[in-house]
Parts: sequence; structure tokens; C-alpha cells
Amino acid sequence: MENSSKKLKAKDFITVGIFAAILFAVEFAFGMLGYIHPYIVASYVIILPLASGIPMMLFYTKVEKFGMITILSILLAIIMFIGGMGYLGAPLIIGAGVIADLIAKSGQYKSFKKIVISFGIFNLWICANYFPILVTAESYRQDLIDGGYSAEYANNLFAAINVKTIGVLVVLCFIFGCIGAVIGKAVVKKHFEKAGIA
Amino acid sequence: MKLDPRTKLFMVFVVSLIVMMSATTPFLWAIRLSITLIPIILMILEKKYSSALKFLLAYASALVLMFYFLSEQSEGLIASLLIGYCGIVVQFMPAIITAWYVVRTTKIGEFMSCMQKMHVPDGIAVSLAVVMRFFPTIKEEYSSINDAMRMRGVMLGGGNVLRMFEFRMIPLLFSCVNIGEELSAAAITRGLGGDVKRSSVIELKLGIADYLIMTFLAVATVIFVVFKYFL
Amino acid sequence: MSIVELENVNFQYKGSKDGSLNNINLNIEKGQTVLLCGASGSGKTSIIRLINGLIPHYYSGELEGNITVAGHDVRKTELHELAGTVGTVFQNPRSQFFSVDTDGEIAFGPENIGLEPKEIKARLNDVVAEMDLDDLLGRSIFDLSGGQKQRIACASVAALLPDIILLDEPSSNLDFDSIELLRGTILEWKRQGKTIIISEHRLWYLKDAVDRVIYMENGVMAKEWTGEEFKGLNEEEVKSYKLRPIVLEEELIRDIRGESTSSFCDVESNIELKDFFFSYKTRPYLLFKKKFKESDGELLNLNIPYLKIPKGKVIGLVGPNGTGKSTFLRCLCGLEGDCKGAIVSDGKIYKARQRLKICYLVMQDVNHQLFTDSVKSEVMLSMKDEDEKRCDEILESLGLLEYKDTHPMALSGGQKQRVAIASAIASGAEILLFDEPTSGLDYSHMEKVGELLNELASTGASVIVSTHDPELISECCDYVLGIKHGKAVYLKENKKL
Repeated sequence: MENSSKKLKAKDFITVGIFAAILFAVEFAFGMLGYIHPYIVASYVIILPLASGIPMMLFYTKVEKFGMITILSILLAIIMFIGGMGYLGAPLIIGAGVIADLIAKSGQYKSFKKIVISFGIFNLWICANYFPILVTAESYRQDLIDGGYSAEYANNLFAAINVKTIGVLVVLCFIFGCIGAVIGKAVVKKHFEKAGIA
Repeated sequence: MKLDPRTKLFMVFVVSLIVMMSATTPFLWAIRLSITLIPIILMILEKKYSSALKFLLAYASALVLMFYFLSEQSEGLIASLLIGYCGIVVQFMPAIITAWYVVRTTKIGEFMSCMQKMHVPDGIAVSLAVVMRFFPTIKEEYSSINDAMRMRGVMLGGGNVLRMFEFRMIPLLFSCVNIGEELSAAAITRGLGGDVKRSSVIELKLGIADYLIMTFLAVATVIFVVFKYFL
Repeated sequence: MSIVELENVNFQYKGSKDGSLNNINLNIEKGQTVLLCGASGSGKTSIIRLINGLIPHYYSGELEGNITVAGHDVRKTELHELAGTVGTVFQNPRSQFFSVDTDGEIAFGPENIGLEPKEIKARLNDVVAEMDLDDLLGRSIFDLSGGQKQRIACASVAALLPDIILLDEPSSNLDFDSIELLRGTILEWKRQGKTIIISEHRLWYLKDAVDRVIYMENGVMAKEWTGEEFKGLNEEEVKSYKLRPIVLEEELIRDIRGESTSSFCDVESNIELKDFFFSYKTRPYLLFKKKFKESDGELLNLNIPYLKIPKGKVIGLVGPNGTGKSTFLRCLCGLEGDCKGAIVSDGKIYKARQRLKICYLVMQDVNHQLFTDSVKSEVMLSMKDEDEKRCDEILESLGLLEYKDTHPMALSGGQKQRVAIASAIASGAEILLFDEPTSGLDYSHMEKVGELLNELASTGASVIVSTHDPELISECCDYVLGIKHGKAVYLKENKKL
């Protein structure tokens, strides 16, 4: 582009929209698994970063300016809210997005190391969805049971996700985000760079 | 019946809020159910009968299963699988039904107009509009890819889970990126992204139905919150 | 006065030689209709992109020279500033829509430039009246045919009232009747005094509309004709330039529109199709699947109780869009699971899923059916037992051996198609189906596809190819099978060239 300014252009907004839709489709497909067993809900921190690594690394190749990752996180927060995941996590999702954006920016969106860390942080949005479980633990448990879930399901859910394990989950989420980034990058190289797109 | 997109957004907001707070007493369940019924009734009014019926059946059967056949003491594999799926349906279906109704019946133009009225920046509005427009595209592309996989007999990726994922993901991404490129080019040559403020041909107006629905939703939410947390 | 001026323009895309331009000097007068023709990659599309500013503002590369469009220096003008001046209709109707509904799409451009709602409505009404779009208003883009989408695309460009209208291979995905409508639109624009520049492979529908024809070769303007001269070119000359024909035979036109009066000719060695019924309208049967039969008539999108088709031949599948050609192909190869038809070949009966084993469909958008990261592994994927020698043989026969390790997506459209054909051969399918394989191809690529189909048939495979290209039919089809309203209406022998 001849006059590449710092401001986001229509094309950038469209790109963000497309990847938000793809990302959501991936989350949705895997999110469905979670209702088989609560431990799978906890293992989102592993599955989702790995699964979304490919589209996200492709997305990072399209990012040149500050704001695209932030807007992606805003869109995610909105979609999660519409999907019934509540608004408590929204500030966390967007916060993670802004920080991820800043980190990637510090590497001019080119440094792969920075991108790996950036994607690791970005993935914390997944943990943001556990937020209601933590904050309102006791009442949420009772809610689930009264709401028709079995005690077994609720107990398992809280055994997997509670104030003690959340630290581990956050760390796992970050680590698998980094792994997802490395794998995703490898796939992007194998396919998209080899094909001359990206 | 045509509703104002702002009413629809408000409906999405309210339903998401209610979905987030579990219903714990029969009375709260009644509120939750009646709020869920609104988008279904609206779908019927928009002549989307088969979708309305499908949602209704899925939701009703999950409810029945959950309350009559499964209980707090249910254990074992099948029961826990069932609980899982009934759980998701009962818990999140209202939000999904509402979102489906809103996305399906709101034109992109209406949505953009609504965003302008609410002073959302054009950029974010464009991104959100693209998300809305892209879901059917992803669905279309994915089903073509699925066809191709069936024809080539690689549905299961030769028994390799990673390949199963790769074979779906890669062509889908290639398609989406291509379509995105062409979509941007076509939109920009028609003036998207200019310095002038976008206008909108659709003039939004709240009608009686809009006020009725909004009032009902607001009242229901207040009652729900009061009964759940203060009584 | 020239409205478009290209002065000593050189251009090369970043990282690709294809479509580069070499010392282009072109002045176009206001109100002229100009046709750009020539092979794929000769630079037609690049010229279109220079004029609408997508080069250099969207597609980057090395650009030299001056480009002036309606007084704007394109290199210094932002894309959105050209919006009211230059309008572009793109090749792929699937990807050029921003909205999901037709009305919104037409209003999209005027909204972008911030017109008053009243003005937008007035323009919308004008465009709809001019282009006769009443029946398409208020519809979802996803329910429209390719031809209908392209009409909406034209309308959405016209609503911005540009002086210059560019069309980049607009007929690629259209059937005969839709192309006729497109021609009407172009003539209407010409009457309004617009400057029109069209890049196109199909030439017959433009011969009476154009004032100038520019022939591109390897990025150079190699030849120029006036409209009159162009019309006067004889068949031999057209062929020598590797262009598609300018005049179509009447009989062929009747054939591809599915309006031939022939009935069913006899075939000796044949494949029998039995009970092919299918309907997309599952709605009345929400909870159970209806078993369709011939008497369901109107309800059916495909209604072929019995049909004999020749074996080991190339059969052209013709008829207007939306009357069942694609449905026929999908049902035949077993992709539509609800279609319970059977194929009888060599005394063996193939039903339901077994059909997938003996049939192979090369899809219109071939991108959907390429999965791996090299041409070789793509072919191997189709083999039951991986056999590297056989793979090389197949690639060799299709001229793909040198691309063995290339990523399929890095290949050109025609090459991708051949990769798909290679995997079809590798799968051992005996019935090969092609869904409009030549729609966006230039003459020499189309010719190659034709030769290839003939070769496939000569190895014993039965080839069925749905097409809107009369040129392809006269090139390679042994038989023509007409489909209309879901029914097979004729099967006639075709004289090949």
C-alpha cells in the first residue's frame, strides 16, 4: 500500500470481522464438547488455544496497525455476551486484547517471539468465561442444581474450576496459547506461505 | 411484523442477562420461559415456521428430559451425557434462539443504521456487520468442503484427528481469506471508508409493538432480579 | 476529451510476474465502450485495477507512469474519493456483496458517500426501474442465482451514478439468458453516455456493443480494432489470436438453453440411471423424510425415473441455470443422501453410498476440494493403496509433474483443476463429473480442458460435463443431454469439430 497510515482502514475492519466470525465458528464447534463433561469445560484452556492457533496466526499476518487485535477482542466480548456467557468477563476479554495488541505492536507485528506471547495473552479471554463460576461460586453451584443440572455435574465443575485451580488454568491457557501459536505458525507456513498467501 | 433493530438489540441484551442468571424457582422459570417464547413467536410472525418449530421442540424436549427424567442424583455415563446436552440447551438456548432470530431478520442496512443512531464508531459497526454477513458464508463454504471430503472419502482424515481438523480448516481459511479480499475491494470501490459520515436509507422508528415488547422485557427483567436476589 | 489516460504505465505485482503491464499508453474518450481481451494473465484485469485505483492502493507492486481518471491523479487519490466517478462490477458474484439483502446492497454505495436518505431512495427507484429489478427486491443474496446476483451487483454500481463503469469478466458465472440480460444493461449504460470498459473472455455478447477492442498479450497492448473491424474478423483470425468465438451457431445456442427439439437418441454401450428423484423442499416434511416418486412432479427438483447415458463418452449437460444441472450431478455422485437412485453399469448396481465410489465430481469452485500441501500428496490421498509410480504417471499425463511439490493453492485456476482431475483419476472413478469447468477460462485453457475430457473418455471413463460454453460443447462433447425443470428432455449426438 502506497500511503500506509497508522489509521485503520475499511479493509482492516472487514478483515477483523471475518476472523471474528471464523474464530467464533471454531469456538462454537469445540464449545459444544464441553457439555459432555465438566472436565472438558476446564480443558478449554488447552483445546481452544490449539484449535484457534491456525486462524489466529493467519490473522496476525494481516495485522500491521494498532487496534485490530483490540477490536477483535471487543467483537469476541460482544459475541460471548450475546451467546449467553454474561458480561462479567467482558472487561477481562478486552483487557487481554489490548495488552496482546500492545505486545505485538512492540515487535512491529513482525517479531514472532512477541506474537507468541501476544497470542498467549489474548487467549486469556477463555478464562474470562470462567469468571462467573469463580465470583459467585456457592450461589452458582446451587443455581446449577436448581436449574436442573445434577449434583454430580456441578460438583465436577467446581472441582475442576475454583479459586485454587484458576491460577493453574490461567497459566495453562497462556502456555497452550504459546504452543498454539507455534503450531499455528507452522501450519500457516506449511500451507499459506507456501501457497503465497500471507 | 417488523420490529425496530433497537428493540431487537434490547431483546438480545435482556435475554443474555436472564440466561446468565439461572432460574431457581418455578416462578423464575416461568419468567424465563415466557421471555424465551417471545423470539419464537416473533419467528412465527416472520413466517419462519420450520425454524420456530425446531427451536421449540429442542427446547421443550430438553426441559422435559431435565425435569422428569433426570435429577440431582443422576449418575452414570449416559445420564451425564444427557445432562450435559440438556444443560446446554436449557441454559443457553434462549440466547441462541434470540441471536438467531435477530441475525436472520435484521438487514445489514438496518443494523448499520441502528449503530449510527447509537453513535457506535463506523469501524466497529462495519466489523460487526461483516461478522453477521459472514456466518452464512462460512456455512456455505463449509458445506461445500464437507461435500468434497465425503466424495474423497476423507471425512475421518484417515483416522487421524489432526488431519480431520486440518482438512476442514485449511480450505475454509483459504476460501474465507479470498472472499474477504474480494469483499473488501468491492466495498471500498463503492466508497466504504471515506471521511464523510455514512448515511442510511433506513429511517428507524419505534412503533407500538416495539414499546410493548421493550416494556414487557424490562418489567420481566426487574421482576426476575427482584425475586431472585431480594426476596 | 479523454476521460481515462494511461501514460507510459509499467506495473508488476509484488512477488508475481502474472498480470504485469508493460509500457501501456491508453486514452479512452468519454462515452466509449472498450473491450479488453486476451489470455488469462495478459494484464486485462490489471488495467481495470489501474483505472479504479485498486492498483496501487489495494494491490501493491511496482508502478511507474501516470494514470488520470476524470481529472483525478489516481496515484494520489484515495479509493473512496473515486467512488462516485468509477464503478466496478467484479467477476465473482458470491464475494462482492456487503449486505445480505438486495435493497440494502443497492443502497450501500450511496450510503457510504453520505447521501440524504431521500436522494438514495430516488436513486434506488430509478435503478430498479431502469434495470427491471422489481422481482429481485427484498430478497436474500444467498437465495439468488449467479445471474441474479450479477444484476444486483450492476445495480449497486449504477446507484452511485459513476461516469465510468468497469466490468471485470462479468459473465464468468452466468448462463446464456443471464448474459443476454447483462448485455441489455451494458447497452442501457452506453445509451446513457457512460464510459464502459470490459475485460472479458466471452466475446459474442459484446460484438454489437463495443467501439474499441484492445488485445492484450503478455502485459502489452498488442493489437487494437475498432468495433466494426472486430465484428468483421473471420473465424480463422479469431482463432489465431486464441480468442473465444465472436459468433455462435444458432443450433448450439438452442442446445445450451435446453431448447433443442431433439428427443433421445439410441446408444449402444450405456450406463443406466434408475429412480433419480430429489427435492430441496423438505419443509413440509419436517419430522420424517418423504420417499419421492415420479408422480410428485412439481415438488421435485430432479425427476429422472429412467435414463440411459452413453458409456466412455463425453456428455455435455446443458440447460438454463437453476433447472437442475448441478442437482443432477450432486445426486448422481451420491452427495445428496436423500436421493435414492441407482446406477447400473456393466450389470453391477450401485446404490446410495456406493455411487460415491465410482463417481467423482470436479466442483465448480475447485478450491473446496484441495486439502493437502503438495500436488503429490493430493493425488496420493485419493489412492486406496499409495503408489508413487502410478501417481507420477498420472501427473505426467496431465503435465503436472514439475509441480509435484508445489502447494495446490499456489497454482493457477486451470492447474488446480487438473490437480482435481488427477485425484479423480487416482481414485479409480469410472464416471467423472464436471460442474462448469471452463466458466472463467480463456480460449486456450478451455481448449485444453476439452482435449483433456476427450482423453479421459478415450481411457474408458464416462465424462459428464455441465456447461454454458457453446465453445466447449463443439470442442469436445460426443453427446448433449438437456435438462429442464429437473427432467431430462433430450439426448442428442453432437458433431465435434
